[in-house]
Amino acid sequence: MGDVPTKTARAEWGSRFGFLMAMIGAMVGAGNIWRFPYVMGNNGGGAFVLAFLTLLVVLAVPGLMAEVALGRYANKGVIGAFRAVVGRGGLVGLGVVVLLVNIALMSYYSPVVGWTLYYAVHSLLFTFTSSGFQAEPFMNEFFASSLLVIALHTIVMGSIAAILVLGIRRGVERIVVYAVPALVLSLVVMAIRGLTLPGASEGLAFAFGIQWEYLARSDTWITALGQALFSTGLGWGIALTVGSYLREYDDVPLGGGLFTAIGESSVGILAALAIFPIVFAVEGVEPDAGAGLAFVSLVQVFPEIPLGGIVAILFFLGFFLATFTSGLLITEVSVTTLSEETRFDRTQTTLGVCGAIWLLGLPSAYSVDILDYLDFVFGNWGLPLATISIIGVIGWVMGPQRLRLLSVNRNAGIHVGRWWDPVIKYVIPSVMVFIVAYFAYDNFGTPEMIGGMFVLVVFPIIGYALMSVLEGRGGQPEGAEVSGGDD
Amino acid sequence: MAALTPEVLGMLAFTLLAFYGVAGWALVRTLRQESRKVEILRHQDRMETYSPAALAELRDWIETNPDDPLVDRARRQHNECVTVLRQTDNHFYDWSDAEIDRLERV
Repeated sequence: MGDVPTKTARAEWGSRFGFLMAMIGAMVGAGNIWRFPYVMGNNGGGAFVLAFLTLLVVLAVPGLMAEVALGRYANKGVIGAFRAVVGRGGLVGLGVVVLLVNIALMSYYSPVVGWTLYYAVHSLLFTFTSSGFQAEPFMNEFFASSLLVIALHTIVMGSIAAILVLGIRRGVERIVVYAVPALVLSLVVMAIRGLTLPGASEGLAFAFGIQWEYLARSDTWITALGQALFSTGLGWGIALTVGSYLREYDDVPLGGGLFTAIGESSVGILAALAIFPIVFAVEGVEPDAGAGLAFVSLVQVFPEIPLGGIVAILFFLGFFLATFTSGLLITEVSVTTLSEETRFDRTQTTLGVCGAIWLLGLPSAYSVDILDYLDFVFGNWGLPLATISIIGVIGWVMGPQRLRLLSVNRNAGIHVGRWWDPVIKYVIPSVMVFIVAYFAYDNFGTPEMIGGMFVLVVFPIIGYALMSVLEGRGGQPEGAEVSGGDD
Repeated sequence: MAALTPEVLGMLAFTLLAFYGVAGWALVRTLRQESRKVEILRHQDRMETYSPAALAELRDWIETNPDDPLVDRARRQHNECVTVLRQTDNHFYDWSDAEIDRLERV
């Protein structure tokens, strides 16, 4: 197959390793680095790991298998995949919902990638280990400089566009096969440095000490549930898009499900091993999450440890690669489906999508408060809506048994049995509905909850109306409509 | 190193095994399978697409769902696999000659 997709010849991954690294690169993002370690340590340590692992195996692994398999079954991006299952008409608008959520997600994620780029550049300049450097004022000054963040947001979207126009094999694959191993290697070296510091054992005890009582708390399980579902990017259209570029004889369940879910979570575990021994080795520094961990706690630590400047470079370059590869694949979701659905070629679509995301991302780049608001709204309601759309269509229209027989177990590296069907049909959709309802109840009446309800109601209406108009009168293509079967 | 109790070390070992052990196993297995598929396709144009268990399940489903909208696609995939198994010598899955002889198109 050609490297550059055209309207007649679809691109494919050049190698199995390329596909696997694309999956890991997409799913490993900021959350693995600056959220997972703290959440783990603060929710019972080893007890949280057990809860997280259980939910990962029960929900994320089967869910990712389903999403990748749908992409391979349809050989299309999100909108085309929905059409292949529900037939032409308004319900294809559920694919538009997934598309809109991805564009919204990337609009506020791009400035975050810009933050990590800024810190990576400063680590290379050894700013953090220079005399008189103060972490908190440095971070506050940076966040207050809207123009600087907008410039970084522009660089990030420009770089993503430059890579995506090259296509799947020459663009995305060529980056991820180096970026993901480099990220892992940087964290491994950082972990070795941290574990050899005096006092590192305190950090290990914080992260891996078992507080069994946490397993009896609902908060632990809800946090683990959110981590298992959101960290793996289940149902966001990314796995579907990546899976749509699989080659004829490629496996789905072993690489797209098991390896992706466990492998991407392993990076979070590695981040815990890399970060907490270092943080706890320095007296007076508190473990934290988010920007407070990456941009304050860790930055305070680097000058205090031997070879701190080098460790800072490893950490921030790895952190940047994690966020950048995620941004690349999140944007690819829109590029793939819009280049299939419109008359524009890949280059035109890439420029259009990246330009639109850049424009929509300006408010988030301008104000951290806007970014936080959008992150909360889309993290709690937008992304679960996308997951419900994809898994719901697989579970209730396509039928899990049919997808398992026709796509999951075809060329599979492991056999997936009947146990999978009820997980896809009942368990994952129920859990997602529970999450949406729980977050709504927990934030009842807040501006975030109102924003979330707006997304839940308006996005499906937009998608349905748009696709009803665009293709509602186009008739049913033969063999496209598969609804009516039940498992 | 006072904080490193046996419980902490045990949990650390379990975590490394559960995550890195499983991810490493899956990575090695899938890359080896890929090499094997490439090797098979070097000697022949096509390769079977289903394991014995998966093909049997597909066949059962076709027979019990003759009116399903996707039955034609399922039948095509089933028959393609049967044809390839009969026409090729190197197989990716663990097919015995007796199993292949018993196969019928649907």
